[in-house]
Amino acid sequence: MPDAITPQAGAHATTLGSGFTDNPYLPDVATVLETVQETPAIKTLRVRIDDPARMEAFRFNPGQVGQLSLFGVGESTFVINSPPTRMDYLQFSIMRAGEVTAALHGLKPGDKVGVRAPLGNWFPLENMRGKDIVFVGGGIGMAPLRTLLLYMLDNRADYGNITLLYGARTPGDMAFRDDVQEWLARTDMQATLTVDQAPEDWPHRAGLIPHVLLDLAPSNANSVAVLCGPPIMIKFTVEALKKLHFADEQIYTTLERRMKCGIGICGRCNIGTKYVCVDGPVFTYAELRDLPNEL
Amino acid sequence: MMSFARYIARGELARALDDMARGRVTYAPRREGDAVVFRPRAEGEEPLLARATVPPKGVIFPQSERLFAFIREKDPNDPGHTTVRLDSTVDIEPALIFGARPCDARGFHIFDRVYLNGPHRDPYYAARREATVVVTLACTKAGSTCFCHWTGCGPADTTGSDILLTPVGVGNDAGFVAVAVTERGGAVLERANLPEADTARADAAQAVHAATHAALEAQSPAPDLSATPARLLERFPDTGFWRDMSDKCLSCGACTYLCPTCYCFNITDENDGGDGMRGRRLRSWDNCMSSLFTREASGHNPRMGKALRLRNRVGHKFSYYPQLHEGVVSCNGCGRCITGCPVSVDIREMVVRATEANEETPNA
Amino acid sequence: MPVLKGKELRVVGFLCNWCSYGGADTAGVGRFSQPTDLRIIRVPCSGRVDPMFVVKALLGGADGVLVSGCHPRDCHYSQGNFYARRRLETLKNFLPALGIDPDRFQYTWVSASEGQRWKNVVSNFVEKVHQLGHAPRIEEATPYLPLAEKGDTPHALRAPLRPLSYPAAGTLAASLEQLRDKIRAALPELDCVIGWQQGFDALHATPLFMRKPEDVDKLTWGPLNVHNLATYLPQFKNRKVGVVVKGCDSRSVIELLQEKLVEPDNVRVFGMPCEGVVDMTRVQKTLDAGNADGAMCADAAPSSVGVDGDSLSFEGEATARLKLADVVAEKCRTCDTPVPLLGDVVEGNASAPAGPAPDAPPSLEALDAMTPEQRRGFWRAQMDRCLRCYACRNACPMCVCRDHCIAESRDPHWTTQEGNVREKLQFQVIHALHLAGRCTECGECQRACPVNIPVLSLKQWMNRSVRTLFDYRAGVDVNAVPPLLAFAVEEKNIKEHGL
Repeated sequence: MPDAITPQAGAHATTLGSGFTDNPYLPDVATVLETVQETPAIKTLRVRIDDPARMEAFRFNPGQVGQLSLFGVGESTFVINSPPTRMDYLQFSIMRAGEVTAALHGLKPGDKVGVRAPLGNWFPLENMRGKDIVFVGGGIGMAPLRTLLLYMLDNRADYGNITLLYGARTPGDMAFRDDVQEWLARTDMQATLTVDQAPEDWPHRAGLIPHVLLDLAPSNANSVAVLCGPPIMIKFTVEALKKLHFADEQIYTTLERRMKCGIGICGRCNIGTKYVCVDGPVFTYAELRDLPNEL
Repeated sequence: MMSFARYIARGELARALDDMARGRVTYAPRREGDAVVFRPRAEGEEPLLARATVPPKGVIFPQSERLFAFIREKDPNDPGHTTVRLDSTVDIEPALIFGARPCDARGFHIFDRVYLNGPHRDPYYAARREATVVVTLACTKAGSTCFCHWTGCGPADTTGSDILLTPVGVGNDAGFVAVAVTERGGAVLERANLPEADTARADAAQAVHAATHAALEAQSPAPDLSATPARLLERFPDTGFWRDMSDKCLSCGACTYLCPTCYCFNITDENDGGDGMRGRRLRSWDNCMSSLFTREASGHNPRMGKALRLRNRVGHKFSYYPQLHEGVVSCNGCGRCITGCPVSVDIREMVVRATEANEETPNA
Repeated sequence: MPVLKGKELRVVGFLCNWCSYGGADTAGVGRFSQPTDLRIIRVPCSGRVDPMFVVKALLGGADGVLVSGCHPRDCHYSQGNFYARRRLETLKNFLPALGIDPDRFQYTWVSASEGQRWKNVVSNFVEKVHQLGHAPRIEEATPYLPLAEKGDTPHALRAPLRPLSYPAAGTLAASLEQLRDKIRAALPELDCVIGWQQGFDALHATPLFMRKPEDVDKLTWGPLNVHNLATYLPQFKNRKVGVVVKGCDSRSVIELLQEKLVEPDNVRVFGMPCEGVVDMTRVQKTLDAGNADGAMCADAAPSSVGVDGDSLSFEGEATARLKLADVVAEKCRTCDTPVPLLGDVVEGNASAPAGPAPDAPPSLEALDAMTPEQRRGFWRAQMDRCLRCYACRNACPMCVCRDHCIAESRDPHWTTQEGNVREKLQFQVIHALHLAGRCTECGECQRACPVNIPVLSLKQWMNRSVRTLFDYRAGVDVNAVPPLLAFAVEEKNIKEHGL
């Protein structure tokens, strides 16, 4: 029996748009190409938008996000995890937390998803050119950093020293294994791994991210710091960066919020006058300091 | 823009409305039980002129609507393979809202700034807004909870309306002075073939506006709210203040759903039947007073307590929205949140007290 | 296409895994032929069957619903079917309130070896459903709004059981000061005491949270104190809190204590004898009645409201004198608990009821008088203007799970967020069912509704079912166990249904 709000094709029927570009609520249908189980809780999906022209024309900047949906289940926000310099697919890394993410974890190659992207703002690359970059990622917070890091590695000459500190609770919670191996091996960047609880054969650091960061003591001269992780990690890492004399304008982070429309209309994701889905998710600590304390 | 005024005799109203609304569904106030709600009006039906309990925002921004349907189809050449087709067909019926008050109609302007003029345009709202004519009735009395004159609205404000009707005269001489506010309003008014309103009647309409305005001022003098956006930001850390303001709040959604300017919504997917082959994505009204509004899947909730949610509600209406929209306050002063609230939370009280200079240092 | 398409009706069966499902298997093995209309859903126990399963099926288009479990005393889990019997009998009593024929729902007991009995049960029930025909859908009911044009409540006013007269001003003021003294004395050990103060105009009171002695000066007492303040108690968790109550409110406090939703050590109750509170809608209509042309504006308020014995006097733009008897809330007309049943109560004389409370309050009489078709039309019309604001839920003292309500959750996923009549009515049924045996009929749900939907009548019907079946009234005995949280091996008032 037709649902009460299923419109019948009547005299006043009109079709609103054919895809995301002309109707921001209408996803582009995409196909899952491959999946990677990074950790028990984190799964990476690589998707390609079905419409070849749309995939071909897809442009985005590191830091931008997308609303990924499973039809019949719902939508959730994820950073576009692959850089714009590698456009064979769009990558999203998903930590299982609720209804939608649990369903996304069940996807297999060939399955269909919806993509509304790109949304939000991006890392201001012009502010980072020629500078030393300090990446600090905690857990799934590594996802947006991966995008920017790969982009910078693909444009290596434009940036100074690149340092990465990536921490997780245990080695089993570390995602992006292949990437991490590459990053450790590269000579044009410095990667450090740390875990809260180190097993005996762990060759890397042990300890909480802020402590290890203070130990590594990156210089604040001509530097920017880019961090992402759980709210508590961000709080203490910012404190550590302040101890290392990083100015508020030198510290970048990306925030997350419960989001629905993703386009600054539904009124849900605001912090004061800023909407995380259009004015963010990338913010400097200076901007956050001026906003109401509602993290 | 204002074209010259027309006159509708009281007994002519139904006929004039029929002519103006030809080809459209007319939504007019109707009594249902002890409430007054906007309902489709039959031709010839004498409309109720009372202010509705629920504003007509649902005509342009329905309580729930389908964004699109999804249809999965098995590939006939490859049974293991399914394609998905999305159908964003919507039914947009030309409509006319009759009997909105200025405090209702201005709500559409609040919506327009966000839904039409923001970084992204909402095609669903745009289509319905385009298809709906708003005919507004100016107010002749001040209700005890009316404070439209505080918020930049007023008893004869034309913002958001296409046509404004002002009641004039008494008894056999009763009628309405009708003025077109927009070009579209002018075209619609033309269809009713009405006589011009003479100077006396036009003056009478102005007098009605002035008198109602004076009554509102006498009842509750409009405070100076120019400092309110900044003051609310200063009050943000004052958790004791917000606890006091929100103690009695029940965290329901009555204030939000009765408000002509509240525009927040939720997006959810539903399936038709159990096999997942067909379904729909809906959007539906949502309210920031609910504890679920900002609760993330991890369980973290930036606005865990009702004090924080009420702080955000007042902050959004009287501080954040004005800062983003040239000082326009996201409240029309209709007072429905006050009368509709089961425990009489009064937003006027909160705004006035927050705007007062802080007596003590706010808690960090 | 199934062979019997168009000839089958949709009948859903919930069968317990151990006895009834086994019995159905036995019938199958024995090749007993039976109608194919029944579609079976297996549950571990009939006690697992939430009455909402039945309601969702019926509202969703099922023509009949059958629940079958182990025979009482033979439940595989010892007690599950005892609970089921209570819940499902209550449900059967409640369905007619929605205009649903109770014969479309049956529950019975079939054991694993009773193949022949199973065949008979299915055949008899399906035949009965066929006699009733396709179930009418609420969405298709003809809207029925009695007296819609007059804008009056669909039932006549009944004269109150008690004379309803407030003490003289001096006496009332003295009692109020006594009340304030009691509160001031207790305040130091309490987080706060919740009472009432004057609201945004002379016609409205509003809840008051007293934390300092000066706050207590603002406490008022009178017919404008309509709110049931017990609704705030559960949110205070482990803190000590005081609350001022009318007689009806005290029953809510008792119910919360019965269910251990508040700790007796953490709540201090204060109160006075009550002579009724107003129905604000009725007051508003009386004051607005003088406005010609259907009131072209919002409500006008008097500048002052006074209580004078059995009347309210209004001064202001319109002077009026209204008899309390004409404007009090419906619950006050039949009130038999004018004095709080517990707590520190200021002495006073409450007028005594002239007789026992009637079986059916007026709103229930009106529902009783409707045909099932009219009831469906009534709820269709009423729920149409529902905004899904959940004011009814959040004003209810018993709804402590309002932040996790199944009407809004995705897991479990009971309702969609659509604004159609079926989803909205489904929530009202959830509310009524979850309140069965717990509701004290304080009426806050209906008072809170911003569009004046008479939702209380559903709870009144439910309470009548509970009274009839279990001789139980909520919120009077702090040691009583609500009947649907308990069971009896032999039920006095539940008879076996012949199937």
